[in-house]
Amino acid sequence: MNASAWNMLLEGAWTTLWISGVSIAIGVTAGLILALIRIARIPVIDQLLVLYISLARATPLVTLVLFIFLSAPTFGIQLERSMAGILALTLNTTAFNAEIWRSAFRNFSREQREAAMATGMTPGITFRRIMLPQMIITSLPGLINEMSFLIKGSPAIAVIGIVELTRVTNRISAVTYEPLPPILVACVLYMAIIGCLVWAQRITERRATRLAM
Amino acid sequence: MPETGLEFSKEPTEVAVSIRNLSKSFNDVEVLRDVNLEVKKGDVVTILGSSGSGKSTLLRCINWLEQPERGSIHIAGERIGVTDEGRAMSVKALARVRAKTGMVFQSFNLWPHLNVLHNVTEAPIHVLGKSRHEAEAHARELLDKVGMSHKADAYPNTLSGGQKQRVAIARALAMQPEVMLFDEPTSALDPELVGEVLAVIKSLSAEGYTMVIVTHEMSFARSVSDQVVFLEKGLIIEQADPETFFTNASTERVRKFLERNK
Repeated sequence: MNASAWNMLLEGAWTTLWISGVSIAIGVTAGLILALIRIARIPVIDQLLVLYISLARATPLVTLVLFIFLSAPTFGIQLERSMAGILALTLNTTAFNAEIWRSAFRNFSREQREAAMATGMTPGITFRRIMLPQMIITSLPGLINEMSFLIKGSPAIAVIGIVELTRVTNRISAVTYEPLPPILVACVLYMAIIGCLVWAQRITERRATRLAM
Repeated sequence: MPETGLEFSKEPTEVAVSIRNLSKSFNDVEVLRDVNLEVKKGDVVTILGSSGSGKSTLLRCINWLEQPERGSIHIAGERIGVTDEGRAMSVKALARVRAKTGMVFQSFNLWPHLNVLHNVTEAPIHVLGKSRHEAEAHARELLDKVGMSHKADAYPNTLSGGQKQRVAIARALAMQPEVMLFDEPTSALDPELVGEVLAVIKSLSAEGYTMVIVTHEMSFARSVSDQVVFLEKGLIIEQADPETFFTNASTERVRKFLERNK
């Protein structure tokens, strides 16, 4: 592999990283918001969210990416490839994250909430100061799991022509006729990215031991 | 003329908690039936009764953790849970009245993600809007009072039950409540840790704190109370000063209860 092949690989890795990163950032936040809306049990909206979550969880990522990219023009929307990719990944991961957040909320200790209310905290303060910090710690293993699923599933966005880390290995081997080296490097890069996540997970697990009362 | 009128209405409110005609059921079971109770400022009232008699429910109604169906509760003259128009209070208004009470739970319920100091300062900072500096200074005083200042930086999971409960007491005191509510504060403790918590509660009564205590510790109740209330199936069947209650109870039921709990 020559310098330009290495360059292409790094660019592919960057594409994977930023598209996944944006989707994860939106997906984690949106998942929390959806979870809170679901907990409020607003009629109609609740049913719509259940429908969305089951659809998003049941649809293969490749299918979802294709569907969004191909159907956007029908609705008169001009979607760039990367936007379509982010949208698909976000729709997918948000649904899973919403369930993770929701279970963290539902399993939160009633006693701790009562203690917060007894000191005069409103539900809003109780959520921000007492529940959320602990929900983050307890949800992180699940959330990070979902993040690594998203990164590993991200080659699906190649189907609409985004040259991410996996797709780029194809491009390289089409010129060099040596498919093995680039795919090997891609594997190592994926492992490095996921490795960072697992490392972050370990740190949070250490903090989580405090919560085990 | 107007001055005398003002003075007349300025009569100090000596009542910390006033409970009137309180009734509450769970499903079809009546747990509280027309309960009336008045707690004077500076008084210690203990609530006794066998399990299931409604004593914890009564205590939890005082700060509206349980909502009664009928009756009213006033904390330092202000009604909790219901507005003057008879509607349910907004969460904000309710939280504000609740802050006039401090509660200590059977299972401590400290917040495990915060260290001891921050468990105590959390509500003063985020509810009362105190500065961190001021809240921490006050918290350290209170931790000193309950003998926990040496653990200010420790996390709850490293504390014994008795230590957790003493921190929980400091946390409740930090809001400078009109009344402290204790819900079986020593029931979850190992026997050898009960004493340290009771000693702290006793020292509070000596300082003049108003307290309502649900407990099974008879000798403690006898020594700390100004008034003892006995609940049976949601009814107050005996209410007396501790001497009368423990030596000369008027109902057969209470005499039997005291016999069994000697």
